[in-house]
Amino acid sequence: MSEIGAVSLRLALLLAAAGFGAAIYAGVQRNPEWTRVAERSVGVVFALVTSAMVALFLCFARYDYQLVYVAAHSARSMALPYRLAALWGGQAGSLLLWLWMLSAYATAAVWFHRNRARVLMPWVVAVLLANAIFFLVLLVAVTDPFEKLPPGHVASDGSGLNPLLQHPVMLIHPLMLYTGLTGFAVPFAFAFAALVSGELGTAWFRTTRRWTLFPWMFLSIGILLGGRWAYEVLGWGGYWAWDPVENASFMPWLPATAYLHSVMIQEKRGMLKTWNLLLIGLTYTLCLFGTFLTRSGVVQSVHAFAQTPIFTSLFLGYVLVTAIAFLTALWIRRKGIRSEVRLESMVSREASFLLNNWVFIAILAMVFWGTLFPVFSEALTGNRRAVGPMWFNLFGSLLAPLLLLLTGIGPLIAWRRASVANLRRQFVWPTALGVLTAAGLGIALGAQISLYAYVAWSLCAFVIGTIVQEYVRAVRARTRKGDENALQALAELLRRNQQRYGGYIVHLGVVFILIGITGSVLNEQKLENLRPGDELTIHDYHMKYLTAEALPAQHYGGAVARLALYRGDQPLAVMAPEKRMYWLEEQPASIPAVYSTLREDLYVILTAIENDGSATFKVYRNPLVNWIWIGGVVFVLGTLTVMWPHPERR
Amino acid sequence: MSKGFQIAGGATLIALLLGWYAASNLQEGASFTYYKTLGEFAASPEAQSGIPARVHGYVVPESIQRDVEGQRVTFAVQATPPHAGGPSDVTMPVVFASLETPDMFKGGAEVVLEGRLARDGATSHFAADKLLAKCPSKFEGVEGATAAGGTARPPSTKG
Repeated sequence: MSEIGAVSLRLALLLAAAGFGAAIYAGVQRNPEWTRVAERSVGVVFALVTSAMVALFLCFARYDYQLVYVAAHSARSMALPYRLAALWGGQAGSLLLWLWMLSAYATAAVWFHRNRARVLMPWVVAVLLANAIFFLVLLVAVTDPFEKLPPGHVASDGSGLNPLLQHPVMLIHPLMLYTGLTGFAVPFAFAFAALVSGELGTAWFRTTRRWTLFPWMFLSIGILLGGRWAYEVLGWGGYWAWDPVENASFMPWLPATAYLHSVMIQEKRGMLKTWNLLLIGLTYTLCLFGTFLTRSGVVQSVHAFAQTPIFTSLFLGYVLVTAIAFLTALWIRRKGIRSEVRLESMVSREASFLLNNWVFIAILAMVFWGTLFPVFSEALTGNRRAVGPMWFNLFGSLLAPLLLLLTGIGPLIAWRRASVANLRRQFVWPTALGVLTAAGLGIALGAQISLYAYVAWSLCAFVIGTIVQEYVRAVRARTRKGDENALQALAELLRRNQQRYGGYIVHLGVVFILIGITGSVLNEQKLENLRPGDELTIHDYHMKYLTAEALPAQHYGGAVARLALYRGDQPLAVMAPEKRMYWLEEQPASIPAVYSTLREDLYVILTAIENDGSATFKVYRNPLVNWIWIGGVVFVLGTLTVMWPHPERR
Repeated sequence: MSKGFQIAGGATLIALLLGWYAASNLQEGASFTYYKTLGEFAASPEAQSGIPARVHGYVVPESIQRDVEGQRVTFAVQATPPHAGGPSDVTMPVVFASLETPDMFKGGAEVVLEGRLARDGATSHFAADKLLAKCPSKFEGVEGATAAGGTARPPSTKG
């Protein structure tokens, strides 16, 4: 089986190289036949990589521990879904997954544009195949997933997978993340193709917007699922720690989001063309850079894979070549992408979108600087230092409110130059709602929360106000005309102007997420040692420690503690945090118990069972955390509304 | 003044402000140094004067004692991995003032301690207020290893 995989990869490399040559020739000669040849090679490469993927899956499923990679990342005791997911549990397999998705995207791009954008397509294919070739070279020559044990060695079982990764969320989180990260290759390829071919009209960015939206949604889901996994598995009471790997997934999200906003300015006003191209280039480069960062050990990360110097230097070279090639093309074409008009007023929609872009880039700069601070500080002072979550949070609490404010203002303010009447009509009610919220918070919580929380929550109310106002006005305008009721009007609204009204739903999701994140200012935590029958109190809850018992032995053993949770005299739940020991992997894990409501989460970790029979618990009360996940769902629904194929516009 | 200058000026101003903000916050303890090894620490000025430091070492097997009454854990660290063979050179007693030890914390584990050297008469111990533990690198991907060290994480994370 493994031979089929190894041969497929080598054939794919040959085909990709041939296709790349054909694509370049077709592009230079503007030759439609050779364009078709190049496009077909993409499909063949995809088929070959798919067969390599299937081969590796089968090796995992059939316990083929003669393969070094399979033995290092799975074991017989693991259930089938986890054995299969172990494919992306290590370096070589995750590169193969990346390649597979890249070639799937390339095939889809070729298919959707089989009758469109003919001048761009050879260059699109060339860029995508060049990327695929890089990964194929890595997989064939540097880190081969089909490498076998040396002759004479026999392995009957593998060494298992890190138990923290054996969790349902971990089956899909990497898939979502990779669907996002690899997908940005397509908009990048279109932007690059536009620059190389000089076809810088409207075709490339109309196409690119769609191709950006899709991976952007998956990247967002991937990031949120990563947070969810951290919250449910890592047992430290939080969901985001500004770890380099989290930052690596967040960094490309920022310019991609900025692009999705500024491309509207290009669409409506013919401005910001260079800027939009830069954002696309930046997004894809950051996808690659993030992958490099987390695999190279340049910055300490909990996700780092084992390192080979050759891999590190090759990958860094790849990132740099990608960035430099793109910037060079941009420089050569700079005359063809001048703005058609100038900014007329700072009080306009254009200006607010421009500001929004600056804030996204400022956040990016902050995350980039903070993540690479160990590298910079060592280069500048010789002393390797790092910044912690506190530093990121300081900046976040400065920039997030600014972004919220612009979320409220941007979609409502007039194009070109806003009049006083426009401002009054659009912002009186939302502003009043924001001020009322601040006052309400002041009465309810007083000095319990920081200035940041006041500002953030009030702005959340302001943004919700603008969104509701937009919907109400638009629905009313339709119902007033006659034969529609409010519900029909709403449906019609979403159908006819899905970009705008879907966009508002996305914003609503983001607001919910920020409401949830800001809830952390009210977090409480407690560490207590209890004997059976003892109680602890946190806020208006109390917990009674009942018993601890041994976990039934399986892939792991350990203990489970049971605590009765009450609010006042009312019993709510029995919480059962676990302390597990994974035998084969020789690794302990604390599985928290969570009692979750819309208002707050109660989160309990069994820290230790002590020798004297008592148990030590760490308890957190995390207000509003659920709104993050709810916001995530709303966010995805909104993005789907925006993306939904519109039959009349095709 | 041309538009280009205005934009460049604005961008520079913002960059300067952010840079200043970053620099001013770095001095207030939002950043920290990477650790010193046990040997480096013993010879450093931090050890002499009790200045906060991060120290790296390995837990001496069977030295861990959980003091439930006193809400603390005492153990010793040594400079070399205990399973690497050969005698351990430098050791240092540690008092961790909490019962909240990370999952990976056990005899032989690789740890990073944050705290300071405290003297009690002729002897001294390291008073740790943070404790990070790493699992032996059995896995290629050591995902979550330090992350599971609960005490190393912030109590909250906001936007």
